[in-house]
Amino acid sequence: MSAQPAKAVVAEPTDSLRQLWHSGPAGWNRALTRARVLLPFFLAALAVPLVLQYVEDNSSWIGAQYWTLILATCAMYACLAVALNLVVGYAGLLNLGFIAFFGIGSYAYALVASDQIHQHYPLWAAVLVVSIVTLAFALLVGVPALRLRGDYLAIVTLAFGLIMRDVVLELDRPPVLAGHQFGPDGLNITGGTNGIHQVQPFNLPTSLPLLGPVPHYRMYYWIFVGFLALCIYLMLRWRSTRTGRAWVAIRDDELAARAMGVNTFKYRLLAFATSAVMAGIVGMINAAQIFNAFPSPNFDVQTTVMVFIMVILGGLGSIPGAILGAIAFTVPPFLLQQFVFYKYLVISIVLIAVMVFRPEGLLGTVSIRPRKTMGGTVELLTAESTIEASELPAVTDTEAADLEAVSGAIVEDPEWKL
Amino acid sequence: MEAVSGRKAVLEIRGLTRRFGGLTAVDHFDVDVNEGEIVSLVGPNGAGKTTVFNLISGVLRPTTGSVRLLGRELVRLPAHRITHQGVARTFQNIRVFPQLTVRENILLGTHHWTRSGMLGSVTFWPGTVRAERAAQAEVHTAIELFRERLEARLEDPAFSLSYANRRRTEIARALAARPKLLLLDEPAAGMNPYERIEMAGLIRSMRDRGLTIFLIEHHMPLVMEISDRVVVMDHGVKIAEGLPKEVHSNPRVVEAYLGRRAASA
Repeated sequence: MSAQPAKAVVAEPTDSLRQLWHSGPAGWNRALTRARVLLPFFLAALAVPLVLQYVEDNSSWIGAQYWTLILATCAMYACLAVALNLVVGYAGLLNLGFIAFFGIGSYAYALVASDQIHQHYPLWAAVLVVSIVTLAFALLVGVPALRLRGDYLAIVTLAFGLIMRDVVLELDRPPVLAGHQFGPDGLNITGGTNGIHQVQPFNLPTSLPLLGPVPHYRMYYWIFVGFLALCIYLMLRWRSTRTGRAWVAIRDDELAARAMGVNTFKYRLLAFATSAVMAGIVGMINAAQIFNAFPSPNFDVQTTVMVFIMVILGGLGSIPGAILGAIAFTVPPFLLQQFVFYKYLVISIVLIAVMVFRPEGLLGTVSIRPRKTMGGTVELLTAESTIEASELPAVTDTEAADLEAVSGAIVEDPEWKL
Repeated sequence: MEAVSGRKAVLEIRGLTRRFGGLTAVDHFDVDVNEGEIVSLVGPNGAGKTTVFNLISGVLRPTTGSVRLLGRELVRLPAHRITHQGVARTFQNIRVFPQLTVRENILLGTHHWTRSGMLGSVTFWPGTVRAERAAQAEVHTAIELFRERLEARLEDPAFSLSYANRRRTEIARALAARPKLLLLDEPAAGMNPYERIEMAGLIRSMRDRGLTIFLIEHHMPLVMEISDRVVVMDHGVKIAEGLPKEVHSNPRVVEAYLGRRAASA
């Protein structure tokens, strides 16, 4: 393998972490996503509840369980932020209905692991069901909606999220369509505003070798951290191979990506569906952790906004940024509970400040800026490509300008074939 | 036009027409590009040259007409399938992916001929690992012509490149697609005289490696120097075709560029 002539090119850049640190946000991301940073981070994260327990056992402080629960929430939001980063940060698709997939995942699990419809699937089957159900919903909304872009896609996905919330709220009784009732009178699928109760947790051992008995809250903290690690591994692998390159290429310049042979619709759909399934699994873990599936906050627009804020604050497309954003928006509210009244005020101020001083987010390289294109479409766009356009020499051919307009229209052309 | 020396035609365009509403941007355009040839498409601003490229590469669909690559019809194929058939292009207003590094930009060129999926990627499936390695090796091949310019910049994001290096990256990306036909849209635009000479040498050496090249260029001395044949367009219509020196003195061409008075003078 090392005898290959390509090896010289394949070889990793040999810069030290320190050098990378001085190379700006792109370098920070590269530095923070290396195995030698991520592995110790995750090992430390796994050890945190044990340390808390040790401190509690050896001092007058009480709060190991409380803080483990907070950190579990934090890890859950980090999973969601990473999954949202796939669709928004990598592929550049504004999916405002993102949290609906989290809700769908939690309800799908609740239905096959409770007395609601008297199903109690084993864990592997439940994972399969949740994945298939969220995938099906992602395709249902993605196949038609991903022909749109920018704010049109945002509107359709937002509507999808709101519709799913209503569906879940209304499905505590048989649906009636055009005077015809579907199902028997007593049919109650989702439990309406009450949600689904007494969802069974995962059937996992309650004690582990060496660690002894593992309480429920600690187990679910570990599950969330483990799933976060898995998601990050997947994201980093995809980003460094053909699929992830195609996603970012589509985000940067869809027309050029297509000209290089990327089936843009397929890759947009892949990003959308993968992110949805990730969110669905997070929803499932959440339902098992809290023994419930609730319509709120599982389907709330506010939850989508929260996860978006985490991603935008941390930096679009940045995985360490997403984790940072999740920590920044879950831990301080618990630390400063006496000021909880001002929570949204503080969040707003922080976000405005970040957008003014660092529109790319803390660790990001891509900024969200409105760009006027055909029909006033606001698109995600890289800060540099705006500079690039003005820096180009004057267009030498008037047809180029016309073509830009026409190709913009063609992109929206509904007869465009896969 | 018939193939000059009986060489195989790589690209055959017949009756290509595209209308935008009332405007006919390209009107019954015919051209052949033969294997190993450099054919230049020239014409005044707004003549429809870039539209021809967009019709070939599938960015636009022709109203009527046919585009054949090695005998295979390209019209109606989506753009990414056309790349798969063996057409790679560059853009007049450079379209590198700004957030991707130079290496990743060039790797995008290998996208259509490598097989590496999401599952294979995360499981280090042998086929995927091999595909990724082949793609990385292709980067090495594709930048061969630009070695001293791009090699040091391989890990830099494309937005940080100079204008000329973006052009080179874009061409290297097109080369990595292993095209049978390369469409270059004003490869020397915005370059200084020195870089232009370098670009001329580059285009010739790409041809010498067996590539067939169809290019749009405004800089006449460059066109005259490197082209095997020149096709002149005006108002969407082909007005002349032939060897560079024939076209140069064609009164219709002079008229299209400089007006009737200059042509008759």
